[in-house]
Amino acid sequence: MGLDSLVALGPRPAEPEASRSVGRRILGRAARSGGFRIGLAILAVLALAAALYPDLSGIDPNKMDVRARLLPPLFGGAHWSLAHPLGTDQIGRDMLVRCLIGLRYSFLIGVASVALTLAIGCTLGMVAGYFGGRTDTVVMRITDAQLSIPMIILAIAVLGVSRPTIPAIILVLGLSNWPVYARVMRSVVMAERGREYVRAAQVSGASHARIVVRLLAPLLVPPLLFASVLDIARMMIFESTLGFLGLGVQPPTPTFGNIIADGRKYLLNAWWIATMPGLFLGLTLTGINLIGASCERARNAIHGGA
Amino acid sequence: MFVLSFLARRLAQGAVIISLVSLLIFTLLRVVPGDPVRLMVGGMAPDSLVEKIAAEMGLRDPILVQFGRYAGHVVRGDLGHSFVRPANGAATGGANFDDTTRGERAAVADLIRDALPMTLQLAALALVFALAFSALVGIAAGLRPGGAADKIAFAVSSIFISLPNFWLAIVLALLFSVKLGWLPAIGYGGFSYTILPALVLAVELSPVLIRTLSGAVAAQMSESYVTVGRIRGLSETRIVVAHVLRNAAVPMLNLLGVQFSGLLGGVIIVEYILDYPGLGLLTINAVLQRDFPLIQGIAIVTSAIFVVINIVVDLAATIIDPRLEY
Repeated sequence: MGLDSLVALGPRPAEPEASRSVGRRILGRAARSGGFRIGLAILAVLALAAALYPDLSGIDPNKMDVRARLLPPLFGGAHWSLAHPLGTDQIGRDMLVRCLIGLRYSFLIGVASVALTLAIGCTLGMVAGYFGGRTDTVVMRITDAQLSIPMIILAIAVLGVSRPTIPAIILVLGLSNWPVYARVMRSVVMAERGREYVRAAQVSGASHARIVVRLLAPLLVPPLLFASVLDIARMMIFESTLGFLGLGVQPPTPTFGNIIADGRKYLLNAWWIATMPGLFLGLTLTGINLIGASCERARNAIHGGA
Repeated sequence: MFVLSFLARRLAQGAVIISLVSLLIFTLLRVVPGDPVRLMVGGMAPDSLVEKIAAEMGLRDPILVQFGRYAGHVVRGDLGHSFVRPANGAATGGANFDDTTRGERAAVADLIRDALPMTLQLAALALVFALAFSALVGIAAGLRPGGAADKIAFAVSSIFISLPNFWLAIVLALLFSVKLGWLPAIGYGGFSYTILPALVLAVELSPVLIRTLSGAVAAQMSESYVTVGRIRGLSETRIVVAHVLRNAAVPMLNLLGVQFSGLLGGVIIVEYILDYPGLGLLTINAVLQRDFPLIQGIAIVTSAIFVVINIVVDLAATIIDPRLEY
């Protein structure tokens, strides 16, 4: 997602009372599109499976079974077994359960890091936009600098030496994308700052904190939530990349990244180990992206037509 | 005259960005745990030796003092020497910790000069693939919003954006190199080795390009000049090619400038997986080895490229659309 698309998505300086229901209007419009429904269906099935199957099936994701090692997925070659629908890995662990556990971690880390990104980006963006001047210059120059370095480098530098715990991973991911939100938030707040209701609040003696928290935030943050849906997908990719490089949640906990990294070594005689987690991740992200993009379209249509 | 003042202003801003990036990277590298000297001398060396070498290298001075010294060299065009890579190619292990002669270490500028063209070649090919594909899909989608092409474009971009690049690189290598034997995948031995990584990067790049292009084309098609063109009897092809695409190109150009660091992030991963000897592979190894001078050099060079690309993009945009002013 480029910056420009986000800026274009920023709420128009509409009347505050008119934009109260904008969130609902966007959601309502998006829900009528085919993409949104398909995405929701994909996510619902995967979420149910991830929530229930590992416990219901009673299969331990880390249980080794040397006699059942390297079983192919259903119909994927000789010796497949109904007990392991997606096959098993090099030491006989069930691929389906491992992928679903990986999905849990990936999704939770994705959502948590986007929440962190939103919190940091929106706060700094609002502060920069509202106060302007030197604060603004400092924040914006930091965003310039950070946007010109790929965050994967910094992530590798930080996680490569410290033990990559889940909070550390969330922190690194959360710090990676805040400049995008800060910029959008700043431009919107700057437009809003000079408007009458803000002036009125200032004149009537409301503190800056009150104006930002009570007046501006409820108006300006919700539209960004729609844009952030797509970011969950990006963060999940980022998380799996780190896992693949050995810098994510550490084995034996299965994650998409570390299963794929493992499977890469057995690629020639057991193609499913590396490909299955990727298909799972790809399917999940397609669901999220379909929902996110449908919301984005609905929002463009509403703002473009308003 | 306008161009000159524009260039002067943007170059000055660029210089600020580059110095901020290098200060940021410089500080982060030293704040984050992980001692390059420990990696250089190996785990067996006594702590006193680590401290002695670190002090000799100036790594125990205050960060600002170190940065001032470094910036002084950079301004004179000296990016320094790698901590770990010798000039003759092979990587040095941790065993020879008594080897502190800096002269034998490879110059950062040389390492970057060798790797950069490889990455530029990869990035250029990826852009060609991505632009060709996105133009095909995006323009068709933008001409008839809501039509079949639009739905296909929406689905394609939603799926493409959902494929992790490292996974795609593995799967395509398995498919095209191992099973089908069409393309070489690992390492570099000629231009054909660039195609597979470029395809992976193109898949990563195209969703945003497709969405921007179809959105821009759709927006332009509803402008009044299109109706006027039709009334004047211009052919639909001429309206689209000569007018709509020209106007839709501006957001695309801006996007390319913004997407640069995203492209670079993808390049790093794909080069690492496919062992493609470019800047990305150099970067990952430098980061893992805590090769401070090399990481700093790469950061300066890439942020300089970022600045230049964005200036070129803005200049090109004013040429395409003279109404724009910067």
